[in-house]
Amino acid sequence: MEKFLLKNIENPDSASLEEYQRVGGYKSLNKALQLEPSDIIAQVKAAGLRGRGGAGFPTGMKWDFASRDVKFPKYLICNADEGEPGTFKDRPILEKNPHLLIEGMAISAHALKSDRGYIYLRGEYPYARVVLEKAIEEAYAKGYLGDNIAGKGSGFHLSVHQGAGAYICGEETALIESIEGWRGQPRIKPPFPVNVGAWGMPTVVNNVETLANIPLIVAIGAEKYSAIGNPECPGPKLFSVSCCVETPGVYELPMGITLKEIIYDHAGGVRGGRKLKAVIPGGISAPVLPPDGVDCPMDFVNLPKRGSMLGSGAVMVFDDTVCMVKVCWRAMSFFEHESCGKCTPCREGTGWMRNILKRIEGGFGRDNDIELLQDISLSIIGKTFCPLGDGAAGVVLGFIKNFSDEFRYHITNKKCMVSKDL
Amino acid sequence: MIKVTIDGREVELENPVTVLEAAKQAGVIIPTLCYFEGLTPFGGCRLCLVEVEKLPRLQTSCTIMTADGMVVRTETDQIKAARRSILEFLLINHPLDCPFCDKAGECDLQDLVALYGPEAGRFAEGKRRHPESFDDPIIVRNMERCVLCTRCVRMCDGPQGAYAISVTGRGSHSFVEPFSGGKYNCEYCGNCLTVCPVGAIMSRLHRHSYRPWFVEKEIETVCGFCGVGCSMVLQMRENSIIRAIPRAGVGFNKGLLCVRGRFGYENVESEEQLTTPLMKVDGDLKPVSWEEAITFITESLKEIKDAFGGKAIGAVASGRCTNEDNYMLQKFIRFVLGSNNIDSSARNYYAPAEAYLERIFGQGITANLISGIANSDGVFVVGGDPTAINPILGLQIRASCRGGGKIIALGAPGGLKRFVAYELMPTPYSEEIILSAIVGRLLKGKALSGENTTVEAKLRSLKIPSDEDLGMTGISSEDIVRASDDLAGMATPVVVIGPDIIQRERASKNLARIFLLSERPNYQGVMDMGCLPDFLPGGRPVELEMFRHQIEGALGLKAPQDKGLTLFEMINEAETGGLKALYVMGENPLFNIPDSAKVKKALGNLDLLVVQDVHLTETSGIADVVLPATAWPEKEGTFTNLERRVQRVRKARRGRMASYGRDDWKIIADIAERFGMTKQYLRVEDVWEEITHVSALHTGLGYEDIAEGKAVWPYCGKPLRGMEGDFSVEGLDGLPRIRGSKKPYLMIERSLYHSGTFSRRSKALLSIYPEPYLMINPLLSERLGLAEGEKARISNERGVLELKVKLNEDVSDSQVFLSNTFEGAGAMGLIGFGIDSVIGSLYIKDNTVRVEKVRV
Repeated sequence: MEKFLLKNIENPDSASLEEYQRVGGYKSLNKALQLEPSDIIAQVKAAGLRGRGGAGFPTGMKWDFASRDVKFPKYLICNADEGEPGTFKDRPILEKNPHLLIEGMAISAHALKSDRGYIYLRGEYPYARVVLEKAIEEAYAKGYLGDNIAGKGSGFHLSVHQGAGAYICGEETALIESIEGWRGQPRIKPPFPVNVGAWGMPTVVNNVETLANIPLIVAIGAEKYSAIGNPECPGPKLFSVSCCVETPGVYELPMGITLKEIIYDHAGGVRGGRKLKAVIPGGISAPVLPPDGVDCPMDFVNLPKRGSMLGSGAVMVFDDTVCMVKVCWRAMSFFEHESCGKCTPCREGTGWMRNILKRIEGGFGRDNDIELLQDISLSIIGKTFCPLGDGAAGVVLGFIKNFSDEFRYHITNKKCMVSKDL
Repeated sequence: MIKVTIDGREVELENPVTVLEAAKQAGVIIPTLCYFEGLTPFGGCRLCLVEVEKLPRLQTSCTIMTADGMVVRTETDQIKAARRSILEFLLINHPLDCPFCDKAGECDLQDLVALYGPEAGRFAEGKRRHPESFDDPIIVRNMERCVLCTRCVRMCDGPQGAYAISVTGRGSHSFVEPFSGGKYNCEYCGNCLTVCPVGAIMSRLHRHSYRPWFVEKEIETVCGFCGVGCSMVLQMRENSIIRAIPRAGVGFNKGLLCVRGRFGYENVESEEQLTTPLMKVDGDLKPVSWEEAITFITESLKEIKDAFGGKAIGAVASGRCTNEDNYMLQKFIRFVLGSNNIDSSARNYYAPAEAYLERIFGQGITANLISGIANSDGVFVVGGDPTAINPILGLQIRASCRGGGKIIALGAPGGLKRFVAYELMPTPYSEEIILSAIVGRLLKGKALSGENTTVEAKLRSLKIPSDEDLGMTGISSEDIVRASDDLAGMATPVVVIGPDIIQRERASKNLARIFLLSERPNYQGVMDMGCLPDFLPGGRPVELEMFRHQIEGALGLKAPQDKGLTLFEMINEAETGGLKALYVMGENPLFNIPDSAKVKKALGNLDLLVVQDVHLTETSGIADVVLPATAWPEKEGTFTNLERRVQRVRKARRGRMASYGRDDWKIIADIAERFGMTKQYLRVEDVWEEITHVSALHTGLGYEDIAEGKAVWPYCGKPLRGMEGDFSVEGLDGLPRIRGSKKPYLMIERSLYHSGTFSRRSKALLSIYPEPYLMINPLLSERLGLAEGEKARISNERGVLELKVKLNEDVSDSQVFLSNTFEGAGAMGLIGFGIDSVIGSLYIKDNTVRVEKVRV
């Protein structure tokens, strides 16, 4: 498939404006500025683009809500707080193709009649900040950002706001709190940010990859775009493949490609030809799939049918040398560390489960620990303030459902099922 | 109309409210923890989850709004299980140290677990540890007990507006901490204590000294610190105050208190409280019996009256005493001794300003409701920091700001710093020029409504400062234009006037509501009770025969027809020998009037100085007789606050006096009886009854009405005078000349943590603000080579003081600030004063001081 999001990134100068323009960059912006904002929103709706951050909310609909709100100014925020273990799909765009994002944001801003945008960048991406800020400077110099974009009278100002390293700030309302200078914790919804967002104004928060898809939609039109991949959630998708594969990395592939194709055709198969044991298809919050799950198409429609989710499209592959109890414990350590502390079940439940998992992994598990873990998970699911806690509990339930033997072995034999010799 | 069904019960609602609120109306109890009325909803504890038909997830009832046709269930198995698990979660890291937690017995968590919690926990791991913090003198933080409901943070960021604390850290390692680190550097309102549902934020004052069930009685009373008059509850055990707490929903302070109200009560429990009358024998005060003291006073006063007439006798009333006390003093001096020489320290600024404003506007101008400030769209604060002088009124200004109101300050904004749109910081003593310029601009813009022609005519003669005049004030004409336009644009402006700037008030009719800040709890009552040389009770001018005769008729006693002497005039007369006796009730003129040397000389000249007070003071030190009086929580009566609301003060404890309790009014009534006053007063109610007959303001206002909170101005629908009087404004055609001074001006710091000499014995307040200091700007300190904590010597011809230096960049570098609180270090001693020829108020002059470093 022809690459669009990662086009030209092998070129060492791909981040420069010159190089971006050389391969056709900013043409979509010029085209979009000729269009009525409502036409662009209609196109994005018709294209069927769904948010790439994890929830898969239809982007056009989100924009529509925001554009219907009569309050001004409106804010456009790019969510570049890519912080989930296994997820690094946005990084190549941020570091190698920043002008694609800027172009996407400028078009979106025109569509939303927003004159102020922020890129909320993950605290641990210092290099991306340097690249983005340089690219923004170049775009201002060329008139792609500023008071009068490309001489068309439409104004848009953009800057980078770097987070301080909290996963929760990837949740859009926590992100807005953080931008406003408060402690990053999710807000009560409703009202939704499209109506009451940053500083109380209508705000659209879109993922990097979502915004990077916009120039393509404008360039090729909604019809052609919706023909890419699964028609129910079309478009190119970035998959960050990691752990036990021969060639980990970020792959741009059509939505709906099977896990099997990603692992074996693109990522070089399981490391050392070993046996596949488990796959987490969408970042650490997505419940784990057993090996027979690899025939599942990777999209927002099919993965939920298998009890998992596409999430950010971060594929984590585990072979038979990996202990599932340990993976689960490590995952829970992440959730405990990143739980913001706002709501009781997530704050207390993640820490409790981490303790139990650590105990099982260390050979001190108790007879009813599995039931206890399941019970705690069920006490969390559906009762938390935001999806972080639900995700954490779902992960535990996923591991126990698919690998209960391994958990039980750990408890009974006080050691790991995976031989140290492997 | 919205119809909602909750647990099968139908509720009809006018407007959408939260499901929690609707449930309350339906009589359904939903357990909550992070919810607190008046705070922004949080939705964090998840205890109030309910099932809502057609919604897939459980919903927090404190955040979800009702919609027509909504069906809610709160007692299903799913909900019960959710509550159980939430409470189990809350307890896993909780230390369960209830046996020695002060909160046990009134702990929300304890109660909730008992009602809804699991029978046993399953947590087998080690609990999270976090040492208790004793870094602060007043507030103990035990974050192991914290349930992270953030009620404290939302209180601090919300109604209090101090922004002093925040949650730090993440997940189960989140803790509430002050930004300043261990010790709080906050306003110490203690409102976080009120809202903490567990024992996480506790007062150190009574740590481990009581259990909630030790409280024997709760006395609902009114705070005795400032003129706002917040409702509060004194929790008593035996004869001792355990705690002062607000009561949610009672009073206009709506469950809020300030540092003085909440923590300052220890001053009345001091061991130093006077227990017996004292008389000067050979230069020293010696204990005597009541009989001896009263006989001596009676005989001395009789001698003086016989020899020099009633005019040689004067009295000082007190803004800390009740209406009944003040009324009785007034009656004694005026109707028994035949002297109109009665005044109080309200003369410093409150009384003259109030009387003057009333003459301009023809109505009780400060009688606006404090709670209205929050709804105004703009507040102009002049000459004083309301958040320090009248903290709870200050919070209303903050609330106005949060609601979109524009706050403009003339002078340092102090505790409003975060809330002002901008402040105008003129050079010292140029406020009048600024105000003239603003009014001038307002007139030009035809912003006056023109209803009050007298005011308008006077204002037309106002000299409008030129740009050149403004040049000396440090405020540009652009600033004036901005401020004037902002003021003119306000639909419901409020003007708050502080003690620092009672000069000629030129506010126009457009400035609709005016609040005078009152440092004492009952300045308004002092005036309404007639403790003024020119006004009888009920605000009736003494010189108007008709009014005088009415009151004389009601009492069957005669009053002199000429105006008496003001406080300052009495000092002057005493100095020159015209005044022979002074009866001081609950006041400390030697400390609280500027130029102590002059006051001391004047008081020393008297033939008889009687001081009636709770503690020994500077003034009682030079008195001939000192009478011990009951303190504020030891007596019954009423206070009138600065919005003219009359409120009941109730007796919570017995006084420390060995014999029977002696309220101020009772002592005076006893003396008056010796002079032949026949009226007998058995109880304080009898005094109030007489007031309602004598004062036209208070006619028909009974104690029951007051207790029910009905005593809001105008009490029985009768305004005071209801007419615009003529008033004299001198010098409108001129402007004051600002003379720069190389030496800084000494100003009085009006601290949030002290209330003049009244708080000298409050241990808690002293632990926050333990000793006098000189507050100076860092620029000035650099010029003088003084660093924070070093000793400075300030001096002028009135005296010398040595004080520690404290830097504060919010004060101007041409001023230094010192509070008038600590013994031997009062600012008043070094300040000179004059008397305003128009309104008779005190104005400060000759207050420059030389500041130098004390070399060790």
